[in-house]
Amino acid sequence: MTFDQWSGGLWPYLAVIMFGFLPSEFWRTLSIFLAREIDEGSPLLEWVRAVSTALLAGVVANILLTPSGALASVPLAARLGAMGFGLAVYFALRRSVIAAVVAGEAAIIAAAYYFH
Amino acid sequence: MGLAPGPVMTASSPNMPPDRTRLGWFAAGFLHAARLPMFVMALTFLGIGSLAREAGVSLGVALTGTLLIWAGPAQVIFLGAVLGGVPLMAIALSVSLSSVRLLPMCVSLLPLLRGPKTSLLTTLYTTHQIAVTGWAESIRRLPNMEPQARLPWFMGLVHGLYLSATLATVAGYLLSANLPRELAAGLLFVTPIYFIAALVRNVREPADWLALAFGLVLTPALKPLVGAGFDLLLVGLVGGTLAWAIQRGLKRRGMR
Repeated sequence: MTFDQWSGGLWPYLAVIMFGFLPSEFWRTLSIFLAREIDEGSPLLEWVRAVSTALLAGVVANILLTPSGALASVPLAARLGAMGFGLAVYFALRRSVIAAVVAGEAAIIAAAYYFH
Repeated sequence: MGLAPGPVMTASSPNMPPDRTRLGWFAAGFLHAARLPMFVMALTFLGIGSLAREAGVSLGVALTGTLLIWAGPAQVIFLGAVLGGVPLMAIALSVSLSSVRLLPMCVSLLPLLRGPKTSLLTTLYTTHQIAVTGWAESIRRLPNMEPQARLPWFMGLVHGLYLSATLATVAGYLLSANLPRELAAGLLFVTPIYFIAALVRNVREPADWLALAFGLVLTPALKPLVGAGFDLLLVGLVGGTLAWAIQRGLKRRGMR
């Protein structure tokens, strides 16, 4: 069964709830029971934070290495270069996240113009 | 962030009276979101809005997705799969796999946000707000705040994010004109550059650097070995555990 077969009236909304919201929200709700036993500053919390950090870094690596859509038209070396440039600006300008985003964006848009 | 230390970091900072009201903390969180995270959200959700238009769902359905799913990657997967005519059960499975990463994020934030008297309803509402951006902005700030300030500050932050994501979903859906390819590439690059800079900003101890580096390096290494969806979870578990174990080893030797 596909989304198109749930068309008309409130059916598409029900499809979003059942096949988008609930499968995602399940993990958030589960966390409430898992977090109950953990208090602030415990080694377990440090471990969970390290796992989250590695996971998020993995998300970034995924987007950089196997991008979708227009970003895929920019070569890998240019994508990594724009990321490196953004981070260099971050440290050069007193650890400014805003500056990193602006510099990285400028670099990737310039690269997209160059490698059309 | 970066240019000046955030004004909301500690109760002892000069422009932050410790007796600030809950509304005051909410406003401080909202203003923090307005400094950059709201713009990042807006750019991400412009893309999601235009993807929804492309997938042929109504604006109402697109908005319901943003408000209820509230996780960028899950929404991209959902809409992309609708566009591809993927069966609903398969969509649900992919969405769920992509959202496993919310579990460690919620587990690490909840002990900071929840007090002894927090009701289950409030807790449910709080966990629903937790997604990557909110996590990255608050995981290092909340521990420096007084406990009673944390939840209102976090609520201000995430409702700022909600506001900008909602408006951007509508704008992306309505505008959705064919963006020049260069700008479309720029939109897709916002998420990685912002997250990597935010992760670097959040670094406090060796484990943070290690987790960051392992996450980046293990992703291409593990991807061919495990199926899509599970690879990210494995990267988190392996990379995070290694980073944590190395730091504990260093601490034990008194070398930190």
